[in-house]
Amino acid sequence: MKNRNKTLLLPLNIVRTPNSNLVLLRAVLNKEFTRIDFGYIAIDYYVRGGWIRISSETYLRVKGEQIKYVLTHAENIPIAPEVHHFESTKDWQYFSLFFPPIPQHDCVIDIIEEENPDDNDFNYYGIQLDMSAAEEVIQH
Amino acid sequence: MPINKKAYRRYKVIDACLRNKMRPFPTIQDLIDAMEEKLDVNTTVDTIQKDIAAMKLPSPDGFDAPIKFNRSKMGYEYTDPDFAISGVSLNSIDIDAIKEAIDIINSIGGSRVSEKFSHAVEKMLSSVREDLSPQARDRKIIQTDAITDARGFEHFDLFFSACRERIPVNFVHYSYSKRKFKTITLHPVVLKEFENRWYVIGHSETHDQLRTFGFDRIYGPEILRKTFIETPAHVSESYLNDVYGVFPLRDGEREQIIIHTSPLITNYFRAQKIHPSQHIQINKYGDALISFELIPSMELARLFISYGNQLKVKAPERLVKFIESYRS
Repeated sequence: MKNRNKTLLLPLNIVRTPNSNLVLLRAVLNKEFTRIDFGYIAIDYYVRGGWIRISSETYLRVKGEQIKYVLTHAENIPIAPEVHHFESTKDWQYFSLFFPPIPQHDCVIDIIEEENPDDNDFNYYGIQLDMSAAEEVIQH
Repeated sequence: MPINKKAYRRYKVIDACLRNKMRPFPTIQDLIDAMEEKLDVNTTVDTIQKDIAAMKLPSPDGFDAPIKFNRSKMGYEYTDPDFAISGVSLNSIDIDAIKEAIDIINSIGGSRVSEKFSHAVEKMLSSVREDLSPQARDRKIIQTDAITDARGFEHFDLFFSACRERIPVNFVHYSYSKRKFKTITLHPVVLKEFENRWYVIGHSETHDQLRTFGFDRIYGPEILRKTFIETPAHVSESYLNDVYGVFPLRDGEREQIIIHTSPLITNYFRAQKIHPSQHIQINKYGDALISFELIPSMELARLFISYGNQLKVKAPERLVKFIESYRS
């Protein structure tokens, strides 16, 4: 399960706090990239659900390492300053962020969009990646 | 020398004429007329004779076609009645059957069959296209209410293969009613279409039971290398056969459902059963008590509600209450 040639999928389902309308769904690890899948649910607070985007400086770090794995690209979410406007307060968006490959072993990672975040930024801390819970993906 | 496209199209017309059981032994003039009709070109006797000679040449220059002039019938024929230049022996009856099948597939093709199947249909269409008149080609005989561009339909091939090969799939599911995302690992059993929407049904590891997921709510499916959890046939059959639609109400058991219908609505249920268990008891004024043995489902409730005050649910009480809450 720890072979770098494999693509590993870790179901995570971690809801952001305190604003629970963002959920980190899965991590996909292989030798070419690290992909993190998210789900975002628009809320009533903003007119027509507001908008979302991701900072180009977003990075991923592995606890105990000094390396910053900086965002390489994103799917289904624009990179700032572009934004995705929702049409209503009942909309939702599934999106993926791609980073350089991280080691395929048990580790704890943080995802940092803003160094000094507010509750709306896409920051996650202390995500445990337990390789024994990983599933191998068959390429298709 | 390779056969050029124009010549090949003429050979196809000659081949079709020679295999036409309704008009056997075509003459040279019949073949010229067929060229004009099918290809909209004027052809000479000389060209037809050269084409026949070329078709008789051994492969790869020709097709080794066993064409012979039958003196008693005063027309041409294949001495081997199963011969066809395409390599597949299709007579006119076979082609008619294929045309009908293609017509059906083509009319439902947009959304109900995958892109892969559509390509196959297109290939099949092009192979018999020269046997069809332009009017027959374009005229649509069958119309269905298939919807194109349905969200999630791009997953059809992946789930079809996963069901066939028995491979688990991980995906993200968004629930419209709960407004929540969740990661699901599914051991898919069957794909089901209902009211122009596609669903995958299988054992959900997340729920530890058989569940249904609409393609339109599925994101990022990934096929997994892991042991497939089999669903016993009797479980999936019950799930599929005892439900009208796709989403059984929570903890639903098969039970007797009784409705009362107005004379107008009774006609629709008499014309077409919605389930094999349907039983109608008609009253003298044309209204009816109709019973079913079914697991109550969202779609059944929606169907009943769609008839407004012309249909009243009498039992079970749980379904009566569900419909009342749905209406309010």
